[in-house]
Amino acid sequence: MASHGVPRVAETTQRTEAQRLEEERQIREYRDLEDLITTKIAERQYTLEVLELTSKLLKKNPEYYTIWNVRRRLLIYGLFSKPSVSSSHSTESLNTSLIDTTKASSENSSFSTTTSSAASTTIPQNPVSPNHGRNGTTLDLIKADLEFMFPIMMKYPKCYWLWNYRLWLLQEANERLEPEVARELWKRELTLVGKMLVKDSRNFHGWGYRGRVVSELESPRLGGQSMVESEFEYTTKMIHGDKGLSNFSAWHRRSKLIPRLLGERSANDEARRQFLDDEFELIIAAMYTDSYPYQQSAWFYYQFLMTTVTEYVGHATITPNFTPEDRAEYVTRQLVILKDMLDGAEDCKWIYNALIDYTMALCRIEERAPELDERQDCTAWLAELRKLDPDRSGRWGDLENSPRQ
Amino acid sequence: MSLVSGPGRAGGNALPDELQLAIEPHVKYIQSLDTRKDELEYWLTEHLRLNGLYWGLNALHLLNRPDALPRKETIDFVLSCQADNGGFGAAPGHDAHLLYTASAVQILAMVDGFGELEKRGKEGGAMAVGKYITDLQNRETGTFAGDQWGEEDTRFICCAFIGLSLLKLMNLVDVGKAVGYIISCANFDGGYGVAPGAESHSGQIFACCAALTIARRLDTVDKDKLGMWLSERQTEGGGLNGRPEKLEDVCYSWWVASSLSMIGRLHWIDGGKLSKFILNCQDSERGGLADRPGDMVDVFHTNFGLAGLALLEFDGLEEVDAA
Repeated sequence: MASHGVPRVAETTQRTEAQRLEEERQIREYRDLEDLITTKIAERQYTLEVLELTSKLLKKNPEYYTIWNVRRRLLIYGLFSKPSVSSSHSTESLNTSLIDTTKASSENSSFSTTTSSAASTTIPQNPVSPNHGRNGTTLDLIKADLEFMFPIMMKYPKCYWLWNYRLWLLQEANERLEPEVARELWKRELTLVGKMLVKDSRNFHGWGYRGRVVSELESPRLGGQSMVESEFEYTTKMIHGDKGLSNFSAWHRRSKLIPRLLGERSANDEARRQFLDDEFELIIAAMYTDSYPYQQSAWFYYQFLMTTVTEYVGHATITPNFTPEDRAEYVTRQLVILKDMLDGAEDCKWIYNALIDYTMALCRIEERAPELDERQDCTAWLAELRKLDPDRSGRWGDLENSPRQ
Repeated sequence: MSLVSGPGRAGGNALPDELQLAIEPHVKYIQSLDTRKDELEYWLTEHLRLNGLYWGLNALHLLNRPDALPRKETIDFVLSCQADNGGFGAAPGHDAHLLYTASAVQILAMVDGFGELEKRGKEGGAMAVGKYITDLQNRETGTFAGDQWGEEDTRFICCAFIGLSLLKLMNLVDVGKAVGYIISCANFDGGYGVAPGAESHSGQIFACCAALTIARRLDTVDKDKLGMWLSERQTEGGGLNGRPEKLEDVCYSWWVASSLSMIGRLHWIDGGKLSKFILNCQDSERGGLADRPGDMVDVFHTNFGLAGLALLEFDGLEEVDAA
């Protein structure tokens, strides 16, 4: 949006006359290009030439959503070959281009990052009938468009319209191409989104897109099968990667994959219990590393794990068959761990907050009122919370007065 | 209304000991925005023009200066953005989209312009707009697409409900299904994402809470959990961020604080510190607010910073309702 994180300019800038004239020229050039596209579209010129004009404009301004829509219309009303005609024709030429693609990607294992004139060099030219929707194959057009977008996406990774248009293109591929051909395109997207997430491991567009790509690749229509194991591994990799344990996006995705993962493994009660133990071990080890007891991402994931023990109704849980005794056992064990954790981290409010929450949870599980020592502990922890985190004193006040206390 | 950033810079000038809201400079700043056609950025931000007008006008209302922009020109411009299908685009000739349709309805509501919509809008008046919005509902899942190309996002449910409720046409859509969809987007941390399974994000949380408020279904929210997550958006400096471990930004003064307010937990953050952070984001001489102190101002952050202050009942601003 507008200007996020645009640092202040050094001095108040008064444009020189030369700068003013230059800006005027740029405005004229931009608006002329816009007018030209509008005119040609009004004349229904759904041609490669106009497609390239939109490429030029979108490189200057990828937020111009109407122009992305123009591009969609150019493709579906003008340039894509008719679905009925295309199948055999496009499959044939496809196979060759697919081989090329595979070769290219194994050679440099990357997407093309050509920035300038990607579209003009990659869109196949067909001199024979430029106006009759037969310029190259649908596959070539889609591939060229995906390539054209890549550098723009790297430059503007938070632009909604880009992600949106890209998904649309791939859905068109699903409609218009053979499943195995469409599948190859989706597979390349996994590589692309991987790159985007290396660049910014918290980009929520990227994580959302990854989910979409994976569910397409898993779909029976594209001959897919479950990728839940490899996706789970991917979150492990991300948690141990760049932003590391503070990557809440990775923890979040992990939390969403777990119920399915266990389901697909047909995990029995014992396996589920082991899984939960392993996850607790992972997050607690994380908390003991460097500054992590103070980072909230780890605590939210911890909260998720505890939810599967304490709030077992209406949630996809890791251990659905836990008895109340099992639950009490787990919570008790965690309370011991949390108290140990305080040693050397006496100024970590998250630990006090968790101790209060789970002491209360234990009472609920055991269907009893808090004992005297528990009440005393909670009062002491609450005092620490007020001291360590005065900004949220209203929350601590409500916690003190809540019926659970 | 242009979305050109600057010329002001937040905190660019020495701040007086006691932070004050620079009302007059902000009014002048907003009034000046449409005179900047000699800047390339004015043209590069045309896709936000109608939103920009809404943000500017809303800010002026908060500043108690609702007449600082001319009413007739405002209505003329809004109506010039209406497409044949009844929806509104960002500027004349731009495609219709729910994001702009919601802004158009909000502006018309603010300037008492529904009568003009009936008279001079596309045939059908309010009903044409209502029909445009209604047709974007996915009748199977209850959610809304942003436009004819099908992108779905919980923000669009909010846009649809805002537009329809102001036009008093909520009966046209399946509210129950939309609410069900929002519930399916709830995460273990109490928050909501773009779609089911997506990470909680303060912008989407605002969108979902606002939609649930309009539908009178806030009972479906896990208020303690969500309140806890939202209250942890406040950073050391007093500002609010959008997700865990991210930088604070003035616009979340609205998205987060109004969500907290809707669920009755606004007192879970330090309002005084937040006000101070927002005031530090203004350019008190040339007007406007930025995302963070030191950055360029723009009308988007100006509006949401002022809205945050108004929510905190800062002196000199009109009271504001969270949703």
